[in-house]
Amino acid sequence: MRAIYRVLAYLLALEVVVQAAAIAWALFGLSTWIENGGVLDKAGMESDSLVFDGVAGFMIHGLNGQMIVPVVGLLLFVVSFFARFPGAVAWAGAAFGTVIVQVALGIFSHSVPALGLLHGAVALVLLVVALVAARKASAPVAAPADTSTGAHAAQV
Amino acid sequence: MLGTDDARGAPPLAPPPAPARRGPGRRRTLVAVLATIVVLAPIAWFWATSLPAGDYSVADMGYPDYGGGPASTAGQPGMAGMAGMAGMSGAGGRSVDTLRLPDGPADVDVTLVARAQTVRLAGGRTVTGYTLNGVTPGPEIRAVQGQTVRVRLVDADVPRGVTLHWHGVDVPAGDDGVAGVTQDAVPPGGQFVYRFRADQVGSFWYHSHQVADDQVRGGLFGALVVVPRGTSAAPSPTDVSALVHLYEGRRTVSGVDGDLAVRAAPGTAVRVRVTNTDSGPMRAWSASPYRVLAVDGTDVRGPTPVVGAATQVTAGGRADLEVTAPARIELGGVAVVVGNPTTPPAPAPNAVVDLLTYGTPTPLDPTTIGFGPTTPARVFDYAIGRRPGFIGGVPGLYWTINGHLYPDVPMFVVREGDVVRMRISNTSGEVHPMHLHGHHAVVLARNGVPATGSPWWIDSLDVPDGTTFDVAFVADNPGLWMDHCHNLAHPKQGLVAHLMYEGVTTPYRAGSDTPNDPE
Repeated sequence: MRAIYRVLAYLLALEVVVQAAAIAWALFGLSTWIENGGVLDKAGMESDSLVFDGVAGFMIHGLNGQMIVPVVGLLLFVVSFFARFPGAVAWAGAAFGTVIVQVALGIFSHSVPALGLLHGAVALVLLVVALVAARKASAPVAAPADTSTGAHAAQV
Repeated sequence: MLGTDDARGAPPLAPPPAPARRGPGRRRTLVAVLATIVVLAPIAWFWATSLPAGDYSVADMGYPDYGGGPASTAGQPGMAGMAGMAGMSGAGGRSVDTLRLPDGPADVDVTLVARAQTVRLAGGRTVTGYTLNGVTPGPEIRAVQGQTVRVRLVDADVPRGVTLHWHGVDVPAGDDGVAGVTQDAVPPGGQFVYRFRADQVGSFWYHSHQVADDQVRGGLFGALVVVPRGTSAAPSPTDVSALVHLYEGRRTVSGVDGDLAVRAAPGTAVRVRVTNTDSGPMRAWSASPYRVLAVDGTDVRGPTPVVGAATQVTAGGRADLEVTAPARIELGGVAVVVGNPTTPPAPAPNAVVDLLTYGTPTPLDPTTIGFGPTTPARVFDYAIGRRPGFIGGVPGLYWTINGHLYPDVPMFVVREGDVVRMRISNTSGEVHPMHLHGHHAVVLARNGVPATGSPWWIDSLDVPDGTTFDVAFVADNPGLWMDHCHNLAHPKQGLVAHLMYEGVTTPYRAGSDTPNDPE
């Protein structure tokens, strides 16, 4: 479980990188496309059929951010219940909580664009929390491990 | 915190069974399993309850909302023994099938054959999509007010079937063309005959309401124009339809990629019927003064010249703009070019014509709009929100109506003759072009500010985020009517409700086990 925890935590950190990369690609692609005469309005945005280098970045960012990242965060949280090391639940819980805040910011920034500032900043918070969680899971096991002392030591 | 440390050192719940295992470890595992259940069970429950019925009647969908009017009574046909809305789709009552014009001769008789194919647009570009009589947009249907229109729709080879909805025309319910609500989708090789009287003058359009998102996007639509009594329905160089549509991501106007040229001698006034067939609002503007003659097929009273402002056309909506040649009407990447203007394309102005105040100031009372909106029989809320959840077992961020997730949406119940007020509000973070079938509503107020211009009649209304509209209409067209978002991806994300007249039923069903998928 500890190994799964570590993998999920690193995966969550990697997802933050993917999200940042995807949205940067999309925005540069969009501005280049507009520079070359492309016209964007709401009707175009809703058509799901705009074609330019980087348009996939918007889809990746949206789908990844609303679906895959929350699922990874949730799995990490659930796995943390079974990963027996100090801080496992706390760090996974913090990561999952940050994911929820981040998704909410992604949603509400469409109404209040200035929240996008927080959306960008919280992404880095999530990156750090996920990395700390992964590092905690990688730390050497504190001796003596509580489950490995043998049946003779069991209190009855 | 759902920690496991509490369990450490605590006595075991029971004597350890053989093979012996340490109590605390077992207890901790138990706590971890319980914590997992606490976290996952609600999610699993929401998922399970969202699994769709493969075969349902929209008449049974959601919960009834009587808007403060009388609830349907048990004595009414079709209402007996109803629990919630159950039974409303059953036997008894008036079927939408009976709410149709009797068959007979028609003044305008058209056959439209739908195909799935690759087609060359009027502008020369080749796209893969859908056609009617081999073209997209489909043939323009023109009628004189009062004429009877008969359209025979044949599906040649569109695999999932087709229908035609007469967007903006308040047709009898049985001819509304919504698959699974007012008819079964016309299968390949099948046909359906629509009949209605063209009583409303104005600009309308028709489009498929079967798998509408895909089929409309792919081109299964066309223009419908009704001209006033005593005038000719023949095509005229001073009356031009401009269907704006994105084919494969590129905007066109009536199938043309760039400029749609309209021949006109200098000084000639030309009416351009701008129709937004896409899923989001678009703007039309001109460097020359223009007038907004009509909105959603209803003439504006006293349209004044507009300078330096764009007219926003919501998805599914129409705006008839009048310019005097030579002039350009910019439509965002494409344009209607009337005569031979020498001016270059003008950039979009920031200002937008406010239809709340445009035209001759007119009080909204029975003498001007035919009914008194201040004494409604029913008052409904249509509050659009957004939250994460499951629809059809698929997790996502979905639209809600009055806080409820599809299919637990309100069924707005009315009685024929009711004056109905509806407050449409949007806190979902995105604009929604709301479209009520079979009726035209007049806008009373926006964000509490009363309408003061010409009566603003709509069938498609742009409701931006953070905006509330009060609209009113008369329930004068019995049936079972969709009231949904015309961003055609949104109904399947939950933004669809229905307006139901007491005692009206439908024999048609939708769902994955049926051929019908109106969205």
